[in-house]
Amino acid sequence: MLSTDLRSQWMSKLLERFTVFVPAERENQVHWHRLEPADLGSGTDTVTPALRRIRASEPVKSFMFNPRQQVGAFPEKLKPAEPKTRVLLGVKNCDLVPLKVHDKILTDGEFNDPFYLAQRKNTILVAADCPVPEESCFCNLLGLTPFAGDDADAALSVCDGAFLLEVGERGRELIDAAPDLFRKASEGDAGVTRREEERKAAVAALNRINPTPWNPGLPAAVAAKRKDESFWQKHAEKCVECFGCLMGCPTCYCFLLYDQAREKGLDRTRVWDACYLAAYARVGGGANPRAEFVKRFANRFFCKFSDFKTDHGMFACSGCGRCFKACMGKIDIRKVLGEL
Amino acid sequence: MNNPYAAIPATILKVMDETPNIRTFVLRPEREIPFLAGQFVELTVPGFGEAPFTPSSSHFKRDTFEMTIMKVGRATGALFGLKPGDAVGVRGPFGNPYPLEKFAGKDIYIVGGGVGLAPLRALFLALTHEIDKYKHIYLRYGARTPNDIVYRHLLPEWEKLPGVDIDLSVDVSDEKWMKKVGVVTCLLEEIPCDEKKSIAVVCGPPIMMKFVNQRLLDAGFQGENIYLSMETNMSCGVGQCRHCRLGPYLTCKDGPVLTWAQIKDIENPFA
Ligand code: SF4
Ligand code: SF4
Ligand code: SF4
Repeated sequence: MLSTDLRSQWMSKLLERFTVFVPAERENQVHWHRLEPADLGSGTDTVTPALRRIRASEPVKSFMFNPRQQVGAFPEKLKPAEPKTRVLLGVKNCDLVPLKVHDKILTDGEFNDPFYLAQRKNTILVAADCPVPEESCFCNLLGLTPFAGDDADAALSVCDGAFLLEVGERGRELIDAAPDLFRKASEGDAGVTRREEERKAAVAALNRINPTPWNPGLPAAVAAKRKDESFWQKHAEKCVECFGCLMGCPTCYCFLLYDQAREKGLDRTRVWDACYLAAYARVGGGANPRAEFVKRFANRFFCKFSDFKTDHGMFACSGCGRCFKACMGKIDIRKVLGEL
Repeated sequence: MNNPYAAIPATILKVMDETPNIRTFVLRPEREIPFLAGQFVELTVPGFGEAPFTPSSSHFKRDTFEMTIMKVGRATGALFGLKPGDAVGVRGPFGNPYPLEKFAGKDIYIVGGGVGLAPLRALFLALTHEIDKYKHIYLRYGARTPNDIVYRHLLPEWEKLPGVDIDLSVDVSDEKWMKKVGVVTCLLEEIPCDEKKSIAVVCGPPIMMKFVNQRLLDAGFQGENIYLSMETNMSCGVGQCRHCRLGPYLTCKDGPVLTWAQIKDIENPFA
């Protein structure tokens, strides 16, 4: 436990050892911000309030599964860089759980992405509770809580003038950076009691925002709609094909390798791709199994709510609501799936 | 740790014209690519991209290997501009080989169309290398015109092999053509093996695969004995990027050859 007054001292200690990213508010949205010593001087504390807000606009996957990442060179070899350890302070549960998707895909044991792994390993993930879920949030429908389980290296709760930090093995480094500032919390501490109250209230708020659970047989119900184009068409009609729903999604894992020629040889880059793009499934000869947009529109639902569950035992969605927030047509997954 | 996206250099040793738009490239990779018939490699044409191809030469000789490629897009277009001595990149092998152990003791009925004979050649060479393990090998191959037939110089040699039976057709003949005329299914009117027990292996353009598959089913072949080369868009080749998703499968990892029994419930598998 750390008093919020000591926040700046702790963070400057962290900066001596690590690169630190924190959520910060800009125009009422939360964005990831690289913490600089100057942020910790006098002036208003923007970090603490942002820690209590919902997830940042940018998905946390971008830190390890980068939007663009050089993954090869030719004819010479390319090795992943080993940068300074990073601390992501304030990761929400709906960003933590999606990392399991990327772990499954990019490090399946047979083929492992060394560039993803290097960045995954050099990141200390500090979760933060969501005391105030917003209308776009629906983690509860996915069976998730608005606070982390044991997927993070440490968990932070900000309540009643205190930072409550629970650490796992790796998270200890965060306390070791400034051991004198912390004291051990106990059951009776006001902060601890308050945290439990806030967690209960957040769960209740989510249940108010999203009162109706999904059909427990959802994967099969989604799959059963494979041939029902009219069902998808009525939602696809509102789509303007901006792909914001896929590009901001913390679970989407599709990528494309592309090469750029250099004077002697080439660089190979892994870039995010999206199944809503017409060229996504097109083959060299020009044939395309999803030439009509409605088929591509439906593919997102098959992928996230049927295929991934069947293959890996989890939905490829965490209910973060970014797709809904980004959508110009206000297409809401909750509404689409609620009809099934 | 191995980088699954990194290509190793390979030198083009020889380029052979098969048809006006199909060539066979003989490659010597810096390190041996330990492929088995049916597996594919990703071929990089420096500066123009990467595409998957199945080696067409025998897996019993791997210091060099061959790929027979049709010019269809950007990467293959650039490849056709390369000469012996030029460098390309290769990575693999990926995907599953033909399950030869399941083919042992059986008649093997191979049906190819156009450039689809390329991966089938690797299979054919693997089978004839150990011909005693199999009952009889039938090869049925169709091309658009006599000029579009690949491995023209090899087919007469193959016909002489014991335990092998070959028949050919073209959609449009010329005055010298002595064999059948018609789409490849015209070769399947009479099937000389026991359909219930035999193995069928098909590779060709999607529309050809669709009709051949139907004909084989009508003739009595079992869905689990019909092996089909599925063509999908691919990028990574290692089961990550999801481009090649086909129903419940990733063709790069679960394929590229799938049986009809595996894909029969997929909507429009030959789309
Ligand atoms: S979806 Fe849940 S975990 Fe994510 S920001 Fe909202 S409340 Fe927090
Ligand atoms: S297929 Fe579509 S929905 Fe699924 S991960 Fe890829 S981009 Fe996302
Ligand atoms: S599909 Fe939407 S709600 Fe689900 S994880 Fe992706 S962006 Fe978040």
